[in-house]
Amino acid sequence: MACLVGPIVGTRWPAGKRGRSPVFIGGVAGAVFGLYPAAVVASVLGCQVHGLEGHPVEVQVDVSAGVPGFFLVGLATGSVREARERVRAAIRNSGLPFPLRRLTVNLAPAELRKEGSGLDLAIAVGVSLAALGRSSPPGTAFLGELALNGQVRHVDGVLVAARSLARHGVRDLFVAASDAAEAALVERLRVFAAPSLAAVVAHLGGEAPIPPYAGGPPRVEEGAVEHDLAEVGGQEAARRALEVAAAGRHHLLLCGPPGAGKTMLARCLPGLLPPMTLEEALELAEVRSVLGELPAGRPLDWTRPFRAPHHSISTAGLVGGGSRLAVPGEVSRATRGVLFLDELAEFQPVVLQALRQPLEEGRVVITRSGGPVTYPAHFQLVAATNLCPCGWTGDDRRPCRCTPGAVQAYQRALSGPITDRIDLQVTVPRTPPEVLGREASGEPSRTVRARVERARRVQLERQGVLNAGLRAADLRRWAPLRPAARAALERWAEARGLTGRGFHRAWRVARTLADLDGGGPIGEEHVLEALGYRLLERAA
Amino acid sequence: MGARRPTPYGEAVAERLAMDLVRAGVVVVSGLALGIDAAAHEGALAGGGLTVAVLGTGIDVVYPAANAGLAARILAAGGTLLSQFPDGTPPRRGNFPRRNWTMAALSDLVVVVEAAEGSGALITADAALSLNRTVMAVPGSVFSALSVGCHQLLRDGAGLVQNARDVLAELQSPSAVLDDPMRLPEGAAAAPAGGGLLRHLSDVHPVDPGELARRLGLPLPEVLARLTRLELEGAVRRGGGGYLRVQRRTRGCGMHGAGAG
Ligand SMILES: [Zn+2]
Repeated sequence: MACLVGPIVGTRWPAGKRGRSPVFIGGVAGAVFGLYPAAVVASVLGCQVHGLEGHPVEVQVDVSAGVPGFFLVGLATGSVREARERVRAAIRNSGLPFPLRRLTVNLAPAELRKEGSGLDLAIAVGVSLAALGRSSPPGTAFLGELALNGQVRHVDGVLVAARSLARHGVRDLFVAASDAAEAALVERLRVFAAPSLAAVVAHLGGEAPIPPYAGGPPRVEEGAVEHDLAEVGGQEAARRALEVAAAGRHHLLLCGPPGAGKTMLARCLPGLLPPMTLEEALELAEVRSVLGELPAGRPLDWTRPFRAPHHSISTAGLVGGGSRLAVPGEVSRATRGVLFLDELAEFQPVVLQALRQPLEEGRVVITRSGGPVTYPAHFQLVAATNLCPCGWTGDDRRPCRCTPGAVQAYQRALSGPITDRIDLQVTVPRTPPEVLGREASGEPSRTVRARVERARRVQLERQGVLNAGLRAADLRRWAPLRPAARAALERWAEARGLTGRGFHRAWRVARTLADLDGGGPIGEEHVLEALGYRLLERAA
Repeated sequence: MGARRPTPYGEAVAERLAMDLVRAGVVVVSGLALGIDAAAHEGALAGGGLTVAVLGTGIDVVYPAANAGLAARILAAGGTLLSQFPDGTPPRRGNFPRRNWTMAALSDLVVVVEAAEGSGALITADAALSLNRTVMAVPGSVFSALSVGCHQLLRDGAGLVQNARDVLAELQSPSAVLDDPMRLPEGAAAAPAGGGLLRHLSDVHPVDPGELARRLGLPLPEVLARLTRLELEGAVRRGGGGYLRVQRRTRGCGMHGAGAG
């Protein structure tokens, strides 16, 4: 959008003494007498965050003769209209002049819905500057809520707003002190930590400059490994499946009795993934910024997220939504990390159904009256389930008591649209105590991650995407099968009545296995192993 | 009678026992349920004998539907379907214990093959005792939860069934045609292919591929690949969260759901 930055003050008018406004006789008095301007218009830039997009908002302040009043126009919702009271109190309590005339603040563009309190500072600066007859310097924007005493306070979404303002040519940004580190993540942006409205006005008037925030550009760091594979006893099959999942970005299903350690295994996956890039860390930080969950001072978190929502979660909670604002859901909180759904069969089918779009597109679109909102959802899914309703299948301490009908219904419920998108499925038996007691023989996560990173490089150099993203045509091009491998895959497909989808899933996993072996053509051993990771196969 | 979800061992026992018993002129009565019941009916049919299926539903309702073909073959072989419930009665939880009483009442002797602790088969065995019927049980693997019920019966004085002759002796119809120990049903693969791997697999107790890898000292990818190859050959199958040896010829390798056997 076109966006005016800087002053569009119509006419300079003589600054009244502090606390006293010049007297206007009428709307046209200045024009008639040539002494005062007919109206004063100041323009200051703010920002409205909508999803992960920031829209610059031009705050136009018009001071004109007439019955004193304060009007706020430009599709301002209730929460923004309340800004009038905060702004009036903040200006007065800061010892700044408040024009005792007809004050109209227009928030442009008018068709953009304005919400929240983030425009407080911009409105107050605009009114103060208009009262003082000064103008806002070009390329400057203001973000923050005002306390009644004039203090500038935190608002959500500062990172999102800052990135978008920078794209629109803003160079200087004033935010609350607690938000400065977050805003400073945006390169080529000069950030000023504004303690109060008075300090901002004084800075703009050249009386008491605020030094720019010295945060420096963000440095790429390596995230902590919070759960190490070395701590997992036994579970060779699941360990291998985790490595393969990490290498090819395949979604993973863990099947086993309660207490087998499925959650611990899932928690190990983030530590097997390569370190986040700056772009990935910023994407995650944007989601957290919108949620207001970025810690002040240390906004970038280099540890990949791990989210484990309870199975009672609602659709809105999982994919995003909410009654008024479009709040990011668990799929977006898990972006660039792992979404863990324990007890998959207990989730409501309609909730799981909503996972299809994020699973396919890596993003989620939420429809709202103010227009659709898009959030990232580049998560890797790890689901866990029992093998039967009672859960004891796979545990020899107790027999399974389920009727055949109940087991069939359970597995039918599982093999739905979500498991259709899970390439790797593996059973996780209860580890016998004698194995748990043994010396931890497991490799540490760091060693496994080195192999994962190598395999990922092979994939990205060859085809530009990770193997989980390969479609049928890509497989024919990038995943050639040796004759014996093809024969094994076809034989299996025939014996199981494997559908095209199931066939391609096994093929993709075989590609990743071959990539862990250096990236050559797919051999029979890769296909045979890949077929070992198929449990729930829907009949053709 | 016995478990609806037996181990391959239990199925093989029920099938073989029924086959040998009908050859000695015994009529096999069972409940047309999945698992041991179905195996007993199958064995009786394979032995060319008569078998009676006592239904827990109306006579016109075959439950489970998977056994519709079996029901038809029982009738075709001159056997009987029998129900105490009015036509059209759907499967109801409360009706099956009543059906089991009827089964016990119709029989001279009840053999239990695989029953978990506290299972329906044990309750029916109690019913049979109160009807003055002889109760016998087949021992199982001490690793299997499905053996616990049978072993309890044995401890409490039930007759031990090693082969059909044990049953015939109890019925006072001795016969010399039966061998000892029990033979596997036809088609049982004693395939030594797969080398050392098959030796570490059980017919009854599912083994996790990770555990196999540990026992064999082989890397897991290799173990999984070899298991899949054996699976394609029909020598092993997935079940109960692990892999099992296939004891008899597979009836085609159909869908294997979630590893639950
Ligand atoms: Zn169960």
